Amino acid sequence: MHIPDGFLDTKVWITTTVIGASAAAYSLKRTKLALQPDKVSMVALIGAFVFAAQMINFPIAGATSGHFLGGALTAILFGPWIGTLIMAAVLAIQAIVFHDGGVTVLGANVLCAGVISCFAGYGVYRAGMALSRGRGRIIITFLASWLSIVAASAGVALLLSWSGTFELGTALGAMISWHSLIGIGEGAITAVVAGFLLERKMTLAKGEMQHA
Amino acid sequence: MLNDKETNAAGAESASSYVITVNKTKWIIMLASTFAVAGLLSPWASSSPDGLERVAEDHGFLDSAKTVFNWAPIPDYEVAGLSGNALKVGSAGVIGVLVMLAALWVISRNYGGRGNHGDGSGMPAAHK
Repeated sequence: MHIPDGFLDTKVWITTTVIGASAAAYSLKRTKLALQPDKVSMVALIGAFVFAAQMINFPIAGATSGHFLGGALTAILFGPWIGTLIMAAVLAIQAIVFHDGGVTVLGANVLCAGVISCFAGYGVYRAGMALSRGRGRIIITFLASWLSIVAASAGVALLLSWSGTFELGTALGAMISWHSLIGIGEGAITAVVAGFLLERKMTLAKGEMQHA
Repeated sequence: MLNDKETNAAGAESASSYVITVNKTKWIIMLASTFAVAGLLSPWASSSPDGLERVAEDHGFLDSAKTVFNWAPIPDYEVAGLSGNALKVGSAGVIGVLVMLAALWVISRNYGGRGNHGDGSGMPAAHK
């Protein structure tokens, strides 16, 4: 759902450029505080994986195609700020090197595919795991990443309608209906990869519930 | 992964009960899959319009897309001058993976992790 240049009007792309740049700068600051040195290569590798997986469009209902986004995966693995930083790096390289997604709308793409998808995915995952007391982790991961796509597409719909492209209800309906199908792919890939890479802590210290 | 029942019986878990693996084999599998997906699988991706393009087409604003930045070295994931779709797209994917690895490694090495600067990497801590 990379927005190309031209879809958003001037006030919207300028506003979202400011928001997207601030979010990227702040995520850099949070990463500095949170990232242990031994995780540097993991962050780089997951970013590369997200880039690679985003190249694979899978056909949907003969009418459209979807691809993995990665906001929920990066946020579940590293927390939402490092997730946002990874997504911003992926989106910037796609726009600058591969002409995928616009340059004036890079901030809007960072906002939707980065901030919104990371925080929506992470929020649902944390809340779901707390409510279920850790049961059904794979199902919660699936739902969290499905919702991250729906939330990101709703963000794009909001920006499109704010640009006067089309009316809000129509925009939301159109974007959410297609992306609730595309989100199934997101849920499946995230569940497999997060299931593969996350492990139970070796020593489960009592009272040690808080991180990030 | 194996003893779900036992550990659950021992006490409630939450998202913080899980940490990212340090198992080298798993990370090597991730790296290999990343290159395989970018280099080998990518040429066979669907070329149908994506979700946003579908919506833009259905609602008549696909034409409002325009090119502002025309200097992308590998536009549309095809390396110019190579013959054959598989080679063009596959090499674009591999280049992209290498660029991503380098970019994120430099960013997170320089900016991430306290006390992680200037230890023989030759790169200055660019902040402050």
